Amino acid sequence: MSALGEFRSLSRSRRRAGAADQREQHRDNKAAAFFLAPWVVGLLGITIGPMIASLYLAFTDYNLLQDPEFTGLDNVRRLLSDDRLVESLKVTFTYVLVAVPLQLAVALGLAVLLDRGVRGLSLYRSILYLPSLLGASVAIAVLWRLVFGTEGLVNAFLALFGIEGPGWVSDPDTALGTLIILHIWTFGAPMVIFLAGLRQIPRELYEAASTEGASRKRQFFSITLPLLSPIIFFNLVLGLIGSFQSFTQAFIVSNGTGGPNDSTLFFSLYLYQEGFTSFRMGYASALAWLLLIIIGVFTALNFWASKYWVFYND
Amino acid sequence: MTDALKAAGPDEPPVISEAAALVRGKRSRRRVRTVLKHGVLVAVCLLMLYPLLWMVASSLRPNSDIFTSSGLFVDTFDFDHYPNGWDALSYPFSTYLLNSFLVVLGSVIGNLVSCSMAAYAFARLDFRAKRLTFVLMLLTIMLPIHVLIIPQYVFYAQLGWINTYLPLIVPKFLATDAFFIFLMVQFIRGIPRELDEAARIDGAGHVRIFGQIMLPLMIPALATTAIFTFIWTWNDFFTQLIFVTKPDLYTVPVALRSFIDAQSTSDFGAMFAMSVVSLIPVFLVFLFGQRFLLRGIATTGGK
Amino acid sequence: MTTSRGRRTARAGLAAGTSAVVLASCGVGANPVMNPELSEGEVTITVNWWGADARTQQTLEALELFEEEYPNISVEPQYSDWTGYWDRMATTTAAGDMADVSQFDQLYLASYAERGALMDLATVTNILDLSALGENVLDTGRVGDALFAVPTGATTNGILINTTLFERHGVPLPDTADWTWDEFESAAIELTEASGGEVNGVSPFGGDSFSLTTWARQHGDQLFDADGEVAIDPATLAAYWERELDLIDSGAAPSAGHLSEVQGLPLDQTDLVTGRTAMGFIPAGQFVSYQSAAPDFDYALANWPTDPDTSEGFQYLKPTMYWAAASTSEHPAEAALLLDFLTNDTRVAELFGLDRGEPANPAFREAVEPLLDEPGRESLAFTEAMSEEVGPTPPITPNGASHIENLLVRYNQQVLFDDATPQEAADDLLNELRDSINAAG
Repeated sequence: MSALGEFRSLSRSRRRAGAADQREQHRDNKAAAFFLAPWVVGLLGITIGPMIASLYLAFTDYNLLQDPEFTGLDNVRRLLSDDRLVESLKVTFTYVLVAVPLQLAVALGLAVLLDRGVRGLSLYRSILYLPSLLGASVAIAVLWRLVFGTEGLVNAFLALFGIEGPGWVSDPDTALGTLIILHIWTFGAPMVIFLAGLRQIPRELYEAASTEGASRKRQFFSITLPLLSPIIFFNLVLGLIGSFQSFTQAFIVSNGTGGPNDSTLFFSLYLYQEGFTSFRMGYASALAWLLLIIIGVFTALNFWASKYWVFYND
Repeated sequence: MTDALKAAGPDEPPVISEAAALVRGKRSRRRVRTVLKHGVLVAVCLLMLYPLLWMVASSLRPNSDIFTSSGLFVDTFDFDHYPNGWDALSYPFSTYLLNSFLVVLGSVIGNLVSCSMAAYAFARLDFRAKRLTFVLMLLTIMLPIHVLIIPQYVFYAQLGWINTYLPLIVPKFLATDAFFIFLMVQFIRGIPRELDEAARIDGAGHVRIFGQIMLPLMIPALATTAIFTFIWTWNDFFTQLIFVTKPDLYTVPVALRSFIDAQSTSDFGAMFAMSVVSLIPVFLVFLFGQRFLLRGIATTGGK
Repeated sequence: MTTSRGRRTARAGLAAGTSAVVLASCGVGANPVMNPELSEGEVTITVNWWGADARTQQTLEALELFEEEYPNISVEPQYSDWTGYWDRMATTTAAGDMADVSQFDQLYLASYAERGALMDLATVTNILDLSALGENVLDTGRVGDALFAVPTGATTNGILINTTLFERHGVPLPDTADWTWDEFESAAIELTEASGGEVNGVSPFGGDSFSLTTWARQHGDQLFDADGEVAIDPATLAAYWERELDLIDSGAAPSAGHLSEVQGLPLDQTDLVTGRTAMGFIPAGQFVSYQSAAPDFDYALANWPTDPDTSEGFQYLKPTMYWAAASTSEHPAEAALLLDFLTNDTRVAELFGLDRGEPANPAFREAVEPLLDEPGRESLAFTEAMSEEVGPTPPITPNGASHIENLLVRYNQQVLFDDATPQEAADDLLNELRDSINAAG
């Protein structure tokens, strides 16, 4: 794609020129101090303290009501022999690895569909965003039972074809799958972000490509995808971070138990049960830091891989 | 609502900027595709609308029908849930709406200001320890709230901030929502550098470049931030429950939970009615706010 | 908190860096003051409870009465739903910031009391008069030898029967005065069959500690012993789940899938209220709630079925809830005064009715009785009849076992979905429970 190629080489040359300038580097440090000031204050004043506290608690026996007692590596040892932890890791990984890519694919597809020339765009967009507006409230929990219950709407529909469906959220074999579908269904947030990203792609590129006779499909792969890649990357990274910590949905649907039979025992739900129901906040903190390590590794992998597919035009 | 969708019209010709450039033969194929496109969209939309319509229907049903009806038709209308729900708790529901609105307003402004500044630094400035700083920023959103809430509570209690909205709003002014920083970083990196470098040649400093060039170009990202902050704060239950314990300061999500007691009867109808009421502001904000999503480079006359 | 302002500010500085330091010094357990004096000046105390809007309104009215009576004391209410309540309780207590007076449940009482979060009520006997409550009632508020909470009321377990459904399907109600488990089960099966499967006869037990305790006592067993240890024979627990499976297999109860779906639902959404099942095991004190949740049905209450070898006195009075005060309260005298007011002032009884259980204070019962509607009278009569038959009250849920309901639900699901035999699940559950209690002790 010549238009795109031109665009790329232009930005590269700019970049080289900028990096060479030493005085520029000096000026940036001062400016960065100004622009990052709120964030630094927030980090030191608000964020880091509780993080350090939880790291310390990870090495203690802390029942919330009495002073934490330092126990060295006891919690780590427990992590290594915890069957429910294994169960919750299985559930969480399945969820993350299936739900995140699928949700992004649906969001991207609809965003592309909506971006160009659909009449009533704003109406569609609002309606498609609705499920994400509803959140995971008590009202929605009632609805899921009516829809996905053994005697619910879905099974009534299946019965028309002579199929006897399971209790979608109450059967251990289908509960997680149902939660994944519900997650995909709230594709509104990534969709909106994709839409905003699509708007940033200069229209001239498409016009130039059309004149050169490139098909829509070709345009999608050589203009849309590369130029949208920073946004896809963002949605992927934050989608992973968010889904690894997914809590509310499973909490609402399973009444906080992670059931049936631990089949929806998300990592964060297990951690919450340990900390707040069983009063083992020390162990819950150890779990939290294990989660941080897992998410950190995934995020780092993502950043490493991004070198090969994410295109920035700065 | 199906009528409204149809009015948007599958059989009207699509308005596409490059439609003029198309040769005639392609027109009919295009039309089939448009019809298909709308067909898919309408079907998906129905699926999306169902929960909301069901909530509205449930808020109009007698309590005893709510848990047995998944349909949208209401046999016996019961409008009492709305006035009942409005006055069911110790303050009229308007109090909670107003409280939520205050928290949301503070959060939106805070996130817009602080996150856009931090994002500019990460996206456009070269400074020492930039990578490390960026990693640190991402790390702060990787710990679940449940292990942070107690140290946070202790800290805010020392400051005397419990039972104020400060623990909910101040962090937003200090760019603790790394989600939005990262979001805006990605957007700014999508803006061609020529634009700000041209300004720099004219002698503009970073503050001016940020204020006069970046911010207008970032409107879609800012709109996204504002809308998401609004919705997520509006629906956030846990921190609002923990940091605010005085009923006159309760926010909407906390008030809605106060309708329900698992061990005795609860006025679910009233809860549904107030849930519907509390959805109106978010929906309006989304409807209104999304027009700013459209203001990308393409429409602001940028490069 | 017993700290001075100066130390507080110093801590605030530290908090910015490492909140851990603050946490370590902020646990509960202040030095108790014996017989504190009421203050002459203005005092503000906080009161915390869970419940829906109706309870909130009643409680607010009662607190207004208290404020009228003692003009220098103002009361700040806090309330939320059950789950939010305990999350907030844990957080505020951890920060040494627990409300002065809190509503409590027996599940959590020992966990908070043994760890020093609650005020020993022996320190406030100069203000709090508990003479109206019987010793056996007060025993349920004791942890170890000390009294930490005032029970508001008590209830036995009972069987809720939807008589409308029995009539509708033409199934005669068995004589419930002294029915056997066989009679119970065959009535349930008959109803399921008569309705063509539209209704099931019974919602079985399987995942709640109240019915399990009652079941254990029917078999001469007990869940926990006086030392706060797990005492139940795994075979008793296994038999409890086997009975559940039997009821499912015979068609008396709905399918395992359906049961797992409705486990732990709020009262309004249970099968008993929606009319999906006709009989179920409930805390008898909730009878009024069931009746008002389902105005289209008529309900009745009955005692559990028995067999010839069933132990006498298997029913017991379980405390419905308590009022307790925080050990960290800066106003122990005023907190005790409010406890006294909530326990002894009959105007409170008139406001609360049966909402916090059949009143433990006889004077309250007298005050409530004339105000009750038909279901209320029925409920009160049942409890009074049952109190002739109850055995001694068992120990409350010990420290480290506050998650027992979660455990029961989790292992019950393994049984329901055939992932474990009742015996295996019972062994596993009890081992896990024992570990947890030992770790907490």
